[in-house]
Amino acid sequence: MFAYVVKRLISGVLVVTLISMAIFLLFWYGPSSPAQPICDRESGNRCTPARLATYEKTLGYDNPVYEEYGKFVKGVFVGRTLTIASNDYECAAPCLGISFRTKAPVKEELVSRMPATFSIAVGGALLYLLFGVPIGVAAARRRGSLADKSLVSSFLFISSIPYYLFALLTWLYLTVTFEVPLFSNTGYFSPITEGPWKWFSGMFLAWVALGIFGCTQYTRYTRGAMVESLSEDYIRTAKAKGLPARTIIYKHGLRAALVPVVTIFGIDFGTLLAGTIFTERIFEIKGIGWWALEAVTGKDLPVVQATALFGAVALIISNLIVDVVYSVLDPRVRLS
Amino acid sequence: MSAETAGPETLGSLSTEPENQDPNSQQAKEIAGKSPIRIALGRLARDKIAVVCALVVLFFIICAVFAGPISHLFGVSLETPLASQRVDGLNNGLPKPEMGPPNGPFTWDHPMGVAPRTGEDNLAYWLYGCRVSLTIATTATIFASLVGVVVGLLSGFLGGTVDKVLTFFIDTFLTIPYLLAALTLAPIINERFSLSDNYSTIQKTSLIIVLATLGWMGTARLIRGEVLALREREFVQAARVMGMPTSRILFKELLPNLAAPIIISVSLMLPAFVAAEAGLAYLGIGVTDGISWGQTILKGTNLTFFREYPQYLWQPLLGVVALVLALNLLGDALRDALDPKTRR
Repeated sequence: MFAYVVKRLISGVLVVTLISMAIFLLFWYGPSSPAQPICDRESGNRCTPARLATYEKTLGYDNPVYEEYGKFVKGVFVGRTLTIASNDYECAAPCLGISFRTKAPVKEELVSRMPATFSIAVGGALLYLLFGVPIGVAAARRRGSLADKSLVSSFLFISSIPYYLFALLTWLYLTVTFEVPLFSNTGYFSPITEGPWKWFSGMFLAWVALGIFGCTQYTRYTRGAMVESLSEDYIRTAKAKGLPARTIIYKHGLRAALVPVVTIFGIDFGTLLAGTIFTERIFEIKGIGWWALEAVTGKDLPVVQATALFGAVALIISNLIVDVVYSVLDPRVRLS
Repeated sequence: MSAETAGPETLGSLSTEPENQDPNSQQAKEIAGKSPIRIALGRLARDKIAVVCALVVLFFIICAVFAGPISHLFGVSLETPLASQRVDGLNNGLPKPEMGPPNGPFTWDHPMGVAPRTGEDNLAYWLYGCRVSLTIATTATIFASLVGVVVGLLSGFLGGTVDKVLTFFIDTFLTIPYLLAALTLAPIINERFSLSDNYSTIQKTSLIIVLATLGWMGTARLIRGEVLALREREFVQAARVMGMPTSRILFKELLPNLAAPIIISVSLMLPAFVAAEAGLAYLGIGVTDGISWGQTILKGTNLTFFREYPQYLWQPLLGVVALVLALNLLGDALRDALDPKTRR
């Protein structure tokens, strides 16, 4: 078990390194000149070749790429000083660069944006399970009944609609048109400075939209896995022993059925952390996804680079956790 | 049954099958000459939802292919004379009453009204938006399927190191969310090509590349699994014994047996790509030249327009929803038809 975790950790670190290299190279060779956006911005769109050369030189774009990648990695671990034109910017320990727009270290803003994205991800993911698993269990118990059939087909219908349009319509109608009290003020409000209630009501609609949409998938998986596990021999044994239905369903049936659900849950949670871009854009929650979109519009390359890296790391970590939890939950999984 | 109702080619009443009375024996008789795909299509044709969805999809395909002639038929075009001729600048840029809704009655000049502020004709933009959406989704699906099938075939059939390397690539690519990738590439492409003459072509091409690069893994996995099972079968072993070259075994022996999983993966990809294209355009990181449903949805969510003129938002939105829904439900029916064991 321990050896397995260590092995997965090492491969995780390897993948993070590879991804960071790929992203670094992308931002190095992708643009015509990586310094062009900052030059345009600083000179009011009058970026002469001479000015561009100055920016390229101070940002180190005339050095070989491996040297600069080394500096970037060093900056992540010990911090560095970045020079843009004639100004020096101090960039402390996990240094991910300096924003072209605000000139602040990217990491600081990333950290300040995290609570909003985190709130969406935790709340949304919780509702996935809270709606999805019980409905799936209930449907599996009443398999073949009218309720089950109509539930399955209506969920198939909902999940066939693109998520962002579903979220957009809930926001436009519940918040804008009908101004439903609980949903009328969406956005991220700090639970500490502005009170937990405001935080809750700002997030609530986003959670509900995510939860309703996402739970369809969980219902399907839970239902499928439950139907399968309820037809196992040990369930018949449990019934023959005269165990109460509740124990049979939840203790014997659900535990086996939850394994595949945990897998998707981990991946979904990672994806949510990596960027709830649509949710943030639609419900005006100013988290990491919103910030990344702003950076794209403003051609703020260091910020885009940092969000991409953050997203990749979030996904890799959540995948790692899933693999470990999976092996704990299901002893049949052979650890190799 | 009487002798008259039996067909002229039937001999003797014992061997004849009563038509439309005993479907099982009828099918059993015909099944001998039918390929699995034909059987699946037959099942599909009996599925009412599938037929309706297929008609809806057909409608969209016709709209996309004949966008030019149809808009010509209605006398509308993408070109807009002067915006001020069509929209009322004093009234938040909403269309003038004679242009149809929201302030006037329906008019045949602009069957779907005109866009606020720019005065663009909605029908023309809707039709060409449909074309953009389907073109991008179809092209990306073709490329992603090709890559997926080749990778799946190779990794499943060759096994060993090749399989390990390819599986590693599949797993790595699976962890990249397309949204994040598109978001990362958008500013780079914008920075590099925004002044280029064919920026919109470059944008669409890169969008197709992004979608295809991040969409092939599902197919590869599906095909790989199928090939793993198939390569132990007798006909493959026979081909090997005969000394058939590997490429011939792959493409002549295995590929025809993979029609069902390929159709399934295409049916999953197509609606996902249509939704992705519109979604990225909505975020402003996909197509940005204005001719895309997603872009129109973005404009329609301007709250002034939405309050006064919700129809402007609903037209492209219903387009996306209907197309994606129809493709998804059709795909679902197709999967059921191809594999009757997975009844939902």
